[in-house]
Amino acid sequence: MPQLFTIDQLREEDAVELANVGVLTDRNRRSGTFLLRDVLPLCCYSSADGMELLSIDAALQRYDWLREKYFWKAVRPDLDEVTLQCHSESIPRGFFIRVRKNVKIAVPTQAGLFVAHSNVTQNVHNIVILEDDSELKLISGCLTLRGVSTGSHFAVSEMYLGRNAKLTNTMLHRWGPKVRVRPRSGTIVGAGGQYMSNYVSLQPAKSIESNALTWLNGSGASAKYLTIILGSDGATIDTGGEVYLNADDTSAELVHRGVCTGGHIFQKGLLVGNARCRAHVDCAGMVLDTKNSGFIESIPGLRGMHPEARMSHEASIGKIAPEQVEYLQARGMEEREAISMIIRGFLDTNIAGLGPELDARIAEIAELAGHGETR
Amino acid sequence: MKDLLEIKNLCVEVDGKELLHDINLAIPEGEIHTLLGPNGSGKTTLIMTVMGFTRYQVTRGRIFYDGQDITDLDLTARARLGIGVMQQRPPTIAGVKLHQVLAYLAAGDLQRNQKVQELLNQSQMSLLIDRDLNAGLSGGEIKRSELLQLLAHEPKFAMMDEPDSGVDLESLALIGKMINKLFAIESACTVKRKAGLIITHTGYILDNIDADKAHIMLAGRISCSGNPHLVLEIIKKHGYEGCVHCMP
Ligand SMILES: Nc1ncnc2c1ncn2[C@@H]1O[C@H](COP(=O)(O)OP(=O)(O)O)[C@@H](O)[C@H]1O
Ligand SMILES: [Mg+2]
Repeated sequence: MPQLFTIDQLREEDAVELANVGVLTDRNRRSGTFLLRDVLPLCCYSSADGMELLSIDAALQRYDWLREKYFWKAVRPDLDEVTLQCHSESIPRGFFIRVRKNVKIAVPTQAGLFVAHSNVTQNVHNIVILEDDSELKLISGCLTLRGVSTGSHFAVSEMYLGRNAKLTNTMLHRWGPKVRVRPRSGTIVGAGGQYMSNYVSLQPAKSIESNALTWLNGSGASAKYLTIILGSDGATIDTGGEVYLNADDTSAELVHRGVCTGGHIFQKGLLVGNARCRAHVDCAGMVLDTKNSGFIESIPGLRGMHPEARMSHEASIGKIAPEQVEYLQARGMEEREAISMIIRGFLDTNIAGLGPELDARIAEIAELAGHGETR
Repeated sequence: MKDLLEIKNLCVEVDGKELLHDINLAIPEGEIHTLLGPNGSGKTTLIMTVMGFTRYQVTRGRIFYDGQDITDLDLTARARLGIGVMQQRPPTIAGVKLHQVLAYLAAGDLQRNQKVQELLNQSQMSLLIDRDLNAGLSGGEIKRSELLQLLAHEPKFAMMDEPDSGVDLESLALIGKMINKLFAIESACTVKRKAGLIITHTGYILDNIDADKAHIMLAGRISCSGNPHLVLEIIKKHGYEGCVHCMP
C-alpha cells in the first residue's frame, strides 16, 4: 500500500487530539502505528521484529490463508446491519496485525482511527492474530476531530489468540455529540491464552452500542473485560457482549464502571459456562447528575450450562456520598478536587498507557458534579 | 496568650434538631484542651461544627479562629486556615488510597514529606497506606490513619475525636506518641506548642498527653471546666451523674 507518511508528519493540531486517546507521535513509545483518517489509511508500519502491521486490504492481497481462515470467521457477516454494512465494502479498511510465535512485544502498538469531516461513515475491519506464546499490547484510539459532530464509526474486529498468547486491547474513545458508534468483535482464545480488553469512553457519542463476543476454547484460557463509561447528557451507551467458557479451567471477568452525568448508560454482558470454569460480573455505577432523565442500568448476566461452572455477579449503583467529599475537604481539598479523587478511585483503573487522558476528563466531570447533585 | 479558637453562644442543629445549646469556649494559642462527657452529649457535634461539616447547622452564635469569624467559611477554607480533624468514624472511600491523601497534604513540602516517611518507617504503617481509605480497618488502624493525615496536614489547631477509644494499650502508646509529635513545640525560645481539642470518653489519653484544661459536656452544654486531672478524678469518683447538679 502507498506509504503516505509517518506519524510524526501528522498535523500538529491532529496530533494533539490523537494524543488524547493514547495515540502518540513518539516512535520510542510505540512499536507500530496504523492511522485511518476518514476512509483513507494514512500510515501503517511496525518497528518490532516478529510483528507485522499491514492495512487489511494489503494483507488480504498478500495472504490467501487470511481470507480462508480468519477473515469473517470470528464475526458473522450477517450478524446485524453493522456487519452487513462493513461486509459490503469493496475495499475493506482497517489493520492486520500478526505477532509471530514466541515473540513478545513489550512496547505497545497503536491504531488511531479518526473521523476528520462531518457525516463521514467509517467502516472498519481489523484482524489481530497472536501466534502461540506471543504477546501484544494494542492501543486503539478512536475519535472525531474537533468541530466534527456528525458521522458514524462501524467497526468489526476479529482477534485470534494462540496457545498461551496474551493480548491487551485498550480502546479509548472520544466522539462528537451526534456520532453513531457500533463496534462488533469476535475473539477466539486458545489454551492458556489471556485476553484483556479495556474500553474507555471518555467522551460519548450520540449512541454507542458495542457487542463483543469471546470464545474461550482452550483449557485455561481467560478473558477480562474492563469497561469504563463516562457518560454525558444526550448520549446512550450500551456496552455488552458474551463470553463463552467452553473448556475446563477457563475464567472470565466482566467489570463495568459507569459515571452518569446525564444520558443513558447500560452495563450488560452475558457469561456462558459450558465447562468447569469461573466467571464473575461486576457492575458499578456512580450517578452524579440525572438531567433529562439520565440513568445507569446494570444487567449482569450469567448462564450456567455445566455443573462445575462457578459463576457470580455483583452490581451496585449510587451517588458520591457527601461525607466522602467533605472528609477530603477537611484535608484542604477543594470540592472538585475531592470529587475527582473519589471518581478516580471508583474507576480504580490502572490501565497501562492511560493516565492523563482519563484525569483530564474526570476533572471536567468533577467540575460539573461540583455544581450539581452532590451539593 | 490570645485565643486561637473562640466559640460564642453557639447553637447547632442536625436534621432540624438542636444538639448544642449556647456553647461558649475559648482555647488560647499553645494550649491543648480536652472535652469529656457521656455518650450522646454532643462532643462529636461540637468538633464537626468547628470543622465546618455541612450537616451541622449553626443556628446562633459565632466561631472565631485566629481572630477571624469563620462561621460562614466552608470546610476547605477552614482546613487551609490550619484547622484539622481526626474523626471518630471516618467514611470509607473505595479506591482512594491513604498514600494519595498524604501526598496531597504534604505536596511540595519536603520537611513534612520526610516526617510522614519517618513515621511510616517507624511504625509498621506502610501497609496501611496502600489500602483503601478506612476500608476494613481496625479501631487502632483508623486512629493511626487519621493521625498520619493530621501529621501531613500539620494544622495549627487539631481536633481529635476519641483517639483513645477502641484501641489496645500498645496502640494507645503509639497514638500518644503521634499526638505529641503533632503538638510538638514549634520553637525552643517561645516554648509554644500547637493548640488542640481532644475528645475523650475514657480519659486514657490524658496519661500520654499534657493537657491544659478539661471541659465537661452534658446534654449539649458545657457544664464545667477545670484542671484536667482534677476533673477526671471527680468523674472517676462520682461519674458524670455527679456533674448534673452543677448544670446551669
Ligand atoms: N443525625 C442525627 N439526627 C438526630 N440526632 C442525632 C444525629 N446524630 C447524632 N444525634 C444525636 O445527637 C446527640 C449528640 O451526638 P454526638 O455529638 O455524637 O455525641 P457524643 O460525641 O458526645 O457521643 C446524641 O443524642 C445523638 O444521638
Ligand atoms: Mg462522639
